[in-house]
Amino acid sequence: MAGKSSGEAADIYRHTPAGKGDGEASGVYRRTLAGRVWRYKWLYLMLTPVMAYFIIFKYAPMYGIVMAFQKYNPFKGIFDSQWVGLDVFKKVLSNHNFWVSVKNTIVLNLLVLIVNFPLTIIISLMLNEIRHIRFKKFTQSVLYLPHFISWVVVAGIARATLFTTNGGTVNMLLESFGGTAKPFLSDTVWWTVMYVFMNTWKEVGWGTIIYLAALTGIDESLYEAAYLDGATRMQRIVYITLPLIKSTVVTMLILQVSRVMSIGLDAPLLLGNDSVINVSEVIATYVYRLGIVRNDYSQATAIGLFQSVVNILILVLADRFAKLIGEDGII
Amino acid sequence: MSIGRKRKKDMQEAYSGIKEAFSIVDVLFYLCVGLTALVCLYPILNVLAISLSGYQEVLSNSVTWYPKNISFAAYRDIFRRKQIWQAMGTTILVTVYGTAAGLVLTTSAAYVLSRNNLPGRKFFSAMILFTMYFSGGIIPTFVVVKGLGLVDTLGALFIPQAVSVFNFVIMRTFFRELPESLEESAQIDGATELQVLFKIVLPLSVPIIATVGLFYAVQYWNDYFQSLIYITTDTKYTLQLRLRSFLFGQELDAQAQVSGDRGQIMTQSLKMASIMFATLPILVVYPWLQKYFVKGMMLGSVKG
Repeated sequence: MAGKSSGEAADIYRHTPAGKGDGEASGVYRRTLAGRVWRYKWLYLMLTPVMAYFIIFKYAPMYGIVMAFQKYNPFKGIFDSQWVGLDVFKKVLSNHNFWVSVKNTIVLNLLVLIVNFPLTIIISLMLNEIRHIRFKKFTQSVLYLPHFISWVVVAGIARATLFTTNGGTVNMLLESFGGTAKPFLSDTVWWTVMYVFMNTWKEVGWGTIIYLAALTGIDESLYEAAYLDGATRMQRIVYITLPLIKSTVVTMLILQVSRVMSIGLDAPLLLGNDSVINVSEVIATYVYRLGIVRNDYSQATAIGLFQSVVNILILVLADRFAKLIGEDGII
Repeated sequence: MSIGRKRKKDMQEAYSGIKEAFSIVDVLFYLCVGLTALVCLYPILNVLAISLSGYQEVLSNSVTWYPKNISFAAYRDIFRRKQIWQAMGTTILVTVYGTAAGLVLTTSAAYVLSRNNLPGRKFFSAMILFTMYFSGGIIPTFVVVKGLGLVDTLGALFIPQAVSVFNFVIMRTFFRELPESLEESAQIDGATELQVLFKIVLPLSVPIIATVGLFYAVQYWNDYFQSLIYITTDTKYTLQLRLRSFLFGQELDAQAQVSGDRGQIMTQSLKMASIMFATLPILVVYPWLQKYFVKGMMLGSVKG
């Protein structure tokens, strides 16, 4: 209450006509736009370096997209290279390797989503039921930890110890349960299994933070009332906890589905190798090989543009869908 | 009395009003959560154990979660390599510069754009948020960085990605949720916007500054992509690039061939020791910063 009333007071105070100012800045400054801008001059000064950063490193590259419509020549630069219209796009879209990388990006992202998404929710629900604080805190610490480990290290763990064919932990486990060792590093199907496992290992615990955040501050009397009415533990989870995180679940799902065409370069490049390139080559690694390794700036830029445009389309669709089903939008 | 009270407090998390008996469902939940934690932890313990185990034990693949026949030979070898110290130095510099620059820029942007009355704040915010959805892409950014003469310099490793939009968003959310009355009463007392920032807002923002600082530091410490595309000179390799060539490159394997079977196994311990060397700094600061990032993430994600 105190906060609100003093806020109102300050508001009135700000809009008071000339003459009732605090003496330092006169009322004229308060009323005109120029005056308001001048009043905040130090804040604008603070903002300048940040906006300069975004203009130079985010907006200037957007102009560089014109390379996708040029036969880019590094010696002539962006301004003097020859314009070729849609020729670069035609070349990209008719390339089999491009479509393989698009397919792999979508398949790997969807597989990780299918495994990771429900698992994150299940672990969050179970963590929420743990009543022993020290056990809960310790397991949470352990679960968040892999998120902070670099992809180079994660790939090192996977390829040098966890999934090696001879003596790898996973294969030794499989053998001790009567199975046979699987070629996780060289067979495309088993490689995909490993890829999904390592992604889940790294991010599943971190993902629980957002659900646990949605569950803090729940009115405990809900649970108490349900308990007194004889609801079992499972009933309380299904009828109280789940509805409370439903909108978070929907938002996260839409957000993650909308990212189905975006993929980091690190995981596929570091986990992959030549024998699984048919499934591990994704858009990011393809752009890297074309643009940085082979210096074909025009094609690599065109692929980047294709990806950005598709991303925006999916995002807008996902946002519309979210609003359609009565959830908050994501844009 | 204090022990009894502590035990009681320990158990009061989920539903404090219910004194329900420990049931079979609880056992199941504790088991599953415990098992998941074990799966998360085991690979790291396994790496640590192999890096510390003796030659015979590594050879027979018998090392699991604890070291057998403890030997520091692999670490002695790692510590003797100049390259890895050089890479560590580069990474420390980039992490310090990058985190400092990221915190200063993100805090100023988030604070300025959290002010309710600032003319143009919506335009500037939209300009920042738009870059989250649309970007020029890898190659046009590379061309800009190259044009600025940053390729193959340390600057290329943090300047082109100095501000993370995600960090900006969680920080701005945090600032917006600070009680306005505090700032307004300070302003009525004649404090300037900058005095409000330094005397009132920043001291209240330790959790979010620690969180965002940790995110930047981890981003730079673990960065692989930026150094892969911008660094070409061997002596400027970052820790992750050096680690990659240790783990997947030919150098260790070539040395192993020269020294035979014993070399092969040493290679395995060496690889694991290099992983520990590169990850230890994160493992050391992690427990100290955990309370901040969980709090910061929860506060930041409420409306994020």
